[in-house]
Amino acid sequence: MTIGISIALILSSMLMVLLVLLHKGKGGGLSDMFGGGFSSSFGGSSVVERNLDRLTIITGAVWFICIIALGLILRP
Amino acid sequence: MLTAITRAFRTPDLRKKLLFTLGIIALFRLGSVLPTPGVHAENVRRCLEQAQAGDAGNIYGMVQLFSGGALLKLSVFALGIMPYITASIILQLLVVVIPRLEALKKEGQAGTSKITQYTRYLTIGLAVLQSTAFVALARSGQLFQGCSEPVLLNDDVFTVVTMVITMTAGTAVIMWLGELITDRGVGNGMSILIFTQVIAVFPSELMNIFRRNAFTFAIVMVVGIFMIAAVVFVEQAQRRIPVQYAKRMVGRRMYGGTSTYIPLKVNQAGIIPVIFASSLLYLPQLVTTLFATQTQQNVVIQWISQHLVTGDTPVYMATFFVLIIFFTYFYVSITFNPPEVADNMKKYGGFIPGIRPGRPTAEYLNYVLTRLTAPGALYLGLISMVPIVALAVAGASQNFPFGGTSILIMVGVGLDTVKQIESQLQQRNYEGFLK
Repeated sequence: MTIGISIALILSSMLMVLLVLLHKGKGGGLSDMFGGGFSSSFGGSSVVERNLDRLTIITGAVWFICIIALGLILRP
Repeated sequence: MLTAITRAFRTPDLRKKLLFTLGIIALFRLGSVLPTPGVHAENVRRCLEQAQAGDAGNIYGMVQLFSGGALLKLSVFALGIMPYITASIILQLLVVVIPRLEALKKEGQAGTSKITQYTRYLTIGLAVLQSTAFVALARSGQLFQGCSEPVLLNDDVFTVVTMVITMTAGTAVIMWLGELITDRGVGNGMSILIFTQVIAVFPSELMNIFRRNAFTFAIVMVVGIFMIAAVVFVEQAQRRIPVQYAKRMVGRRMYGGTSTYIPLKVNQAGIIPVIFASSLLYLPQLVTTLFATQTQQNVVIQWISQHLVTGDTPVYMATFFVLIIFFTYFYVSITFNPPEVADNMKKYGGFIPGIRPGRPTAEYLNYVLTRLTAPGALYLGLISMVPIVALAVAGASQNFPFGGTSILIMVGVGLDTVKQIESQLQQRNYEGFLK
């Protein structure tokens, strides 16, 4: 049981990292970060981006559930 | 002020953005208190209490500040956005050094987004390194010095690997949350997340001081309010260099003829120099913890651990101060390029009254900027010295709530976000928060 959830957690973690990296970075780096003026975001995301968002959210939910489940099982 | 807030919430567009931002912040905080599976939460809590009582947990100062106390709890978001900041700093420095990156930066939008993408990859790499380091520290019991209880439930390799991967994924999620705020919320996501973490430790720190001594509490509050006022004052200070645009006739239309100004802020670099300097000074600590287990101590390591690890030695203070001043000049020179500004002005027929366009303008801008940055750099250095000096004089905790860096972050991010909300408000009505 523990090992199964652990493996699920590892897999979902890796998928999460991959999906986040697939997103186009909107951060703009450090120059934007502290008082670097306004970052103008050009609205409207493509279908690909929207599907990616959906997939990321689902993976995130699975990841989160895995963490809580494993945390509950491993509780001393 | 209150009417402005209600008005902000009555604007449907803005309300959606504000609620979205708040939701993300809530998620972020939730992840910061959720322990990573495999951590013995009860023991960690006990060790943390011991560490706080003995002031031993403060060696992680800056990292702890940026993670809002999540780091020593070994939560899912333990690393916070520190890896992202470190990656950004590294890439900023590399842009100056590596010609290929410099060419990318000059390319404009496309190049910048490519650099951002590199920053993201580097963030994950750093996250793997840092999470491995911290889990290893926790496993060997060195995370809390003087606390004998085991922090991990069982320290076989499989559990440890799971923890490392979970924390790495946590960092990726934080990065994504930050980008979501930037994209669909209000303000810049990463700085809002830092802001949240700095604010999050605030009440408990204040309560700590209050419990210890009510009189100190009053003094801290008064000093803090004065410092906030001073920081706001300097952050808003700017020198306006007048620019006159020549009138041009294109066909039958008249262009230009306006007079504007270039705002040069006193503290053009913002908070970045402080973060750079703190991150650099964090390196000696890291080195000494790595070599601490060696039986035979080398002279250099000994010198470092004597002078550069704790904040109350003169050598540390001087280094910190000099580094901040250096990085202020460095960062201003990266972000503001006088020849480029002068060129642009010349292209559109603008000039500074009394100065010829082209090279003399660039020289003039450079002259003003270097002199303007001097008080700015001194101010940054002095403000960030406050907690260290307080530590040396009054024996206050290093996480002194009104510490220089926290105040700079709070005020800087706060002002920026309010300004952005205001500019959104002004699209609908004229009155905003700031009058």
